[in-house]
Amino acid sequence: MAGKEATVYIVDLGRSMAEKRHGRDQTDLDWALEYVWDKITNTVATGRKSALMSVIGCRTDETDLAGLIDVLEGYENLHVFSELKQYLLSDIRKLQEHLHPSKTNDGDLLSAVALAVQMIDRATAGKNGKPLKYDRKVIIVTDGRGEMDMGDLEEISAKIQHPDAPIEITLLGVDFDDLESGYKEEDKDAHKAENEHRLKVVVESCDGIVGTLAEAVDQLAIPRLKEVRPTPSFRGALTLGDPEIYDSTISIDVERYPCTMLAKPPTASSFAMRTDVGTAGPSAQPSNIIVGEDHPMSDLSAVRNQRVYQVDNLDEPGTKKNVEQDELEKGFEYGRTAVHISESDMNVVKLETQAFLSIIGFVKAEEFERYLPLSRSNFIVPQKANQPAQLGLSSFIHALYESECYAVARLVTKELKPPVIILLVPRIEVDAGWETLVDVELPFEEDMRRYKFPPLDRKLTVSGKVIHEHKDLPTQDLTNAMSAYVDAMDLSTFGRDDDGNPAEYAKPEDTYSPIVHRINHIIRWRATHPDPTLPIPDPPAILTQFAHPPPSRISSSSTHLDALKQASKVSKVPPKVKGRGKRNRAERDKPLSGLDIDALLGNPKKVDIDKANLIPSFKQALLASDDLDTIRAAASAMGSEIKALVKNSVGDSGYGRALEAMRVMREELVELEEPEEYNKFVRELKKELLAGQLGGNRREMWWKVRGSRYGLVDRKRSFVSDVSEEEAAEFYRS
Amino acid sequence: MADAQDNRPGEDEEEEEEIDDSAYKTMKDAVLFAIDVSPTMLERPPKSEDKKAERDSATSAALKCAYQLMQQRIISNPNDMMGILLFGTEQTDLKDGDSMFQHCYLLADLDVPSAQDVKRLRGLVENEEEAEQILKPAKDGASIATVLFCANQIFTTKAPNFSSRRLFLVTDNDYPVRVKADKDTAVTRARDLYDLGCTIDLFPITQPDHSFDRSRFYDDLVYPTSPSDPDAPVAVPSTTKIAKSGEGITLLKQLLSSINSKATPRRALFTLPLELGPDLKIGVKGYILIKRQEHVKSCYVWVGGEKPQIVSSSTSHMADDTARVVEKLELRKAYKFGGDAITFTPDEIIKIRQAFGDPVIRIIGFKPISCLPIWTNTNKATFIYPSEADYIGSTRVFSALQQKLLESKKMALVWFIARRNASPTLCALIPAQEKINEDGEQTMPPGMWLIPLPFADDLRQFPEQAGDVLKTTDELTDKMRIIIEQLQLPKGVYDPVKYPNPDLQWFYRILQAMALEEELPDQPDDKTVPRFKQIDKRCGEYIANYGKEFAVAFDQVAKSTLSHRGRATGKHASVDPEDAPAPKRVKKEPKVKEENGDDDMTDEQMATIYGKGQLSKQTVVVLKSFLQQRSQATSGKKADLVERVQDYLESKAT
Repeated sequence: MAGKEATVYIVDLGRSMAEKRHGRDQTDLDWALEYVWDKITNTVATGRKSALMSVIGCRTDETDLAGLIDVLEGYENLHVFSELKQYLLSDIRKLQEHLHPSKTNDGDLLSAVALAVQMIDRATAGKNGKPLKYDRKVIIVTDGRGEMDMGDLEEISAKIQHPDAPIEITLLGVDFDDLESGYKEEDKDAHKAENEHRLKVVVESCDGIVGTLAEAVDQLAIPRLKEVRPTPSFRGALTLGDPEIYDSTISIDVERYPCTMLAKPPTASSFAMRTDVGTAGPSAQPSNIIVGEDHPMSDLSAVRNQRVYQVDNLDEPGTKKNVEQDELEKGFEYGRTAVHISESDMNVVKLETQAFLSIIGFVKAEEFERYLPLSRSNFIVPQKANQPAQLGLSSFIHALYESECYAVARLVTKELKPPVIILLVPRIEVDAGWETLVDVELPFEEDMRRYKFPPLDRKLTVSGKVIHEHKDLPTQDLTNAMSAYVDAMDLSTFGRDDDGNPAEYAKPEDTYSPIVHRINHIIRWRATHPDPTLPIPDPPAILTQFAHPPPSRISSSSTHLDALKQASKVSKVPPKVKGRGKRNRAERDKPLSGLDIDALLGNPKKVDIDKANLIPSFKQALLASDDLDTIRAAASAMGSEIKALVKNSVGDSGYGRALEAMRVMREELVELEEPEEYNKFVRELKKELLAGQLGGNRREMWWKVRGSRYGLVDRKRSFVSDVSEEEAAEFYRS
Repeated sequence: MADAQDNRPGEDEEEEEEIDDSAYKTMKDAVLFAIDVSPTMLERPPKSEDKKAERDSATSAALKCAYQLMQQRIISNPNDMMGILLFGTEQTDLKDGDSMFQHCYLLADLDVPSAQDVKRLRGLVENEEEAEQILKPAKDGASIATVLFCANQIFTTKAPNFSSRRLFLVTDNDYPVRVKADKDTAVTRARDLYDLGCTIDLFPITQPDHSFDRSRFYDDLVYPTSPSDPDAPVAVPSTTKIAKSGEGITLLKQLLSSINSKATPRRALFTLPLELGPDLKIGVKGYILIKRQEHVKSCYVWVGGEKPQIVSSSTSHMADDTARVVEKLELRKAYKFGGDAITFTPDEIIKIRQAFGDPVIRIIGFKPISCLPIWTNTNKATFIYPSEADYIGSTRVFSALQQKLLESKKMALVWFIARRNASPTLCALIPAQEKINEDGEQTMPPGMWLIPLPFADDLRQFPEQAGDVLKTTDELTDKMRIIIEQLQLPKGVYDPVKYPNPDLQWFYRILQAMALEEELPDQPDDKTVPRFKQIDKRCGEYIANYGKEFAVAFDQVAKSTLSHRGRATGKHASVDPEDAPAPKRVKKEPKVKEENGDDDMTDEQMATIYGKGQLSKQTVVVLKSFLQQRSQATSGKKADLVERVQDYLESKAT
């Protein structure tokens, strides 16, 4: 976590910044602002009150020193846009109005620096005038085409390097020559060359950094990582044996810190569009409305969740009654039985535990199944400055490492927390010079779902025979092609380290969370681009870098890929032919024996809908004949039964059956390409439900139909339907 | 309808954007046990001196099995339904006064089990007299067609829209009809069930004098795959083993194992293309096979009536300014930024989240599996298995890939988007071999696992230690190695089956006792506690040796860094050099870490404050840090902290 900071940006707004140079399609100022806005919005996004900033415009048309300095001479054409403060969205909006090229080239950059220093000095001093602990920064962006007065330089420089309040100066030059990157501007005019030289001398004399804007803008693409101060989740002894009972035990004082922790993108909250804009006076506004100053976001209103509590009404089965919140107490469900436990007794269901970390036994690293761990990982390190603990843990880490074993231990992080079983793994980082145990949680018995899947390297027949040649098993050709392809696409030495040596490609430390940075990026983008008609930009390339195999690896292994395609003979299943149309009894699923049941029953031509056996009889009726009249008759009988279910339902007791019947009816009729039959029924049903013609108020049933999406079958679902998607959507709404 | 348990009054909710695997969980299952009650099913095995010998009749073994399953499902699938139907009983009772289904007795109606159901079933399992009253076979038995139609009615009315509905049929009679016409009726009733979307799972029992032959009757009734759910995975093509009465392993165990082998995931978590390279895709499905099982969350109970009742709650959104009810469609998402809100239209939100392309598992390349150290773990793994539904030939290509990766000890690096709106992640795709136990049962399926990898954003800094850190000596490491070799778990592997979750087990034991209004148990059964006795027996000596070597090593390494030692050692070190020469004594008294920092209080200081009655004058920060360093809970209000400090000091004083 960062401490307090004070940053002043000096932005050169001179007329020369309005030029587009060296074939760029944006002005020098717009280019520079890319950098400045990125820095500013990044800071605003942290929401930190202790991150103060200000922006000073240099070579501006107006002069405004915000009362920092009394004399005006030498400080003309400088504009202080705000005091040093925490920037908010409204400040960004205000600033946007100011950051445009001026009509002048007058204004002294060094005076602006003096102003910035003065400003920081004032804002970061304590009550007694002594400087407080702050990170002080001045960031200058300029094209180096202005005038500069080199007087007072020493005084400013001394102030910047003041041991109690040093200021870090960074100067980013537009098209400055740079030895390191080898950049040299062609046809540079002499005045700029002179300025570049002078600025370098000035900044370097203050121990500051000079860089090119090009470099800085490039750097922006690399997402910034948020640093988090490590906080221990456990402090205590790692023991082997029970020290309370036995003499020979080992106990090492350790602390446990996070090693991996998923970074989360910022979360959005829900708001309602306000309906009363312009009617409610300021005094009527509740405090938690988001009030923007004068921009379009003030039409949002916070959303409150209203809850209704209900229990089954035992006096009238099938109905519910509302109950008051103060009649509610805590409890648990055991099956469908409510077990009431008063607040004071809540602890009885908790296992009593003490903080605890003790070894259960050891396992072989080789045998360990990598898919078992189900948590993030943690470091386990010796207690700070405890030398015996350091030695003890080091011997444990090395012994595990040498014997190629992991330890299994029981961990309770705190009193009354549930125990977990963890795996302790040695990690020795020779280059970085540290060693540690790493732990991950292991599953308990209840966490394993023992589902069975058929073997992949052989086929079993029903009679129990083992087959090794089958369409589901790879041929030797396929096996060879796969092997060659996998080897050709190896990435373990495809990357390059900092020194350009072959290294692993896409190591975790080189990859950035796409969603975290995407959302952060887009929020910051919107902050400086409030125009709602602008299209949302694509994510930065660095976030999609690993979405595809590296192109050069693909091209180098293309012959292997072709061979693999040849050998695998994979074909896409054609999109399901919509509706099976006529169906055939012979295609029906048969029992294990293969018995033809319809034949057994003499292939009846007509099956009646049986309300006691509704769904099966409906399916069988449709199968009995492909004659349209039969289908219509079945559908109409089914429809009547569904309505009867609703009509005779006590409370909501019949709704479930009715809905299931609707699902089957809808599915079957779509498959038979007779969606109109269903649509006719569901239109009627809706009308009767809402008109209360099915035994009283059945609005609840309508909501359920809507919630299950059992409405009209539209053209998307069945191409023979004459209902458009809009009409189907409208059907749910009204 | 809203789920009662995750809605609590007054709790502020911020909507999660990520859809988790909740849809996966809500696939509800209804199981109806149909247990045959006939003279042969009720016949008890001959008495035997052998403790392992069979004691239960087939019917009672089936009931015990149902009882165990019921308790297990309350824990693992609290929303699933279960019912028990006895057939062939003298009595007819379907709890609705109807006697249409002759000789069918509904012991527990198909529903989420209640405490009463559990109690009743246990009574029947444990109390023979009670059992005998019900378990009286009718002279002619029940017609199997009647049983099937009865099941049809029960499923239709009690679990109309459950996507998984299964009839578990337990019987020893492989030809339960007399004339062919009766068989035809049964066959049609079985097909009705199939058309309804229900599965018949047969659990046949072979009696000593008669072996069960499926082909005589039941192969005409049972259908090969689950009819209702297209997302259900391919079933293992094996029919249930026939349980044999009177063999070494008890009938109950055989039945339980058969039922467990029927456990198939009810639905895939996702169905996605696995892209091996440009234009080479196969189909796979993902399943969650390892997931932390949590106990039910607390819910609200209405205590205003005679009996406590479960409360369901529903939420509506209200605009804060006008108290107007807001429809979901009217809600807008906004991000807090610079003291204000940044909004996007729903369309824009979609563009932001879905900017990374379609859901896919795309192979980027391959690496040795050693590039996947355990510290890179961030979350649970997801199992994937091939599916021919979208690409023909998927299974053989998947198999070739799996075998190649196994053979070369490699993994694939993949770009993974689980579903629309899901965040893209990078994962390691690793192969897994099928594992089979001694009985020939599969314990781990063959396939591949997706293991999520961390991004740079997810990596935390190593907490660097100040100054030089002592390193071990070779001699000391060797002494520790001996201990490690002595304390290997069986076969050197961690087997989760041996470690039930003590917290979960305790929770349900207590809850069950409370629900059944019984006495609460007082002793938890915690299999995760290390076996200290065994450790001492096997390793006591080696630990003592380690202790001796530790003293030597410490002198050696600490000397070289003497100038850095500070005040770290002394009394509070756990493995104390001064103390080590005393044989068989490596460990000091429980320690208080005074050395933790200059501001921290010692026990004595805190005790003095307590003595003066000024404990409550301490700040929360002081109390919390005091408690935290002693591994005590730091939750609650200040009064709780004060109380906890008192308790701690008093426990130390005695």
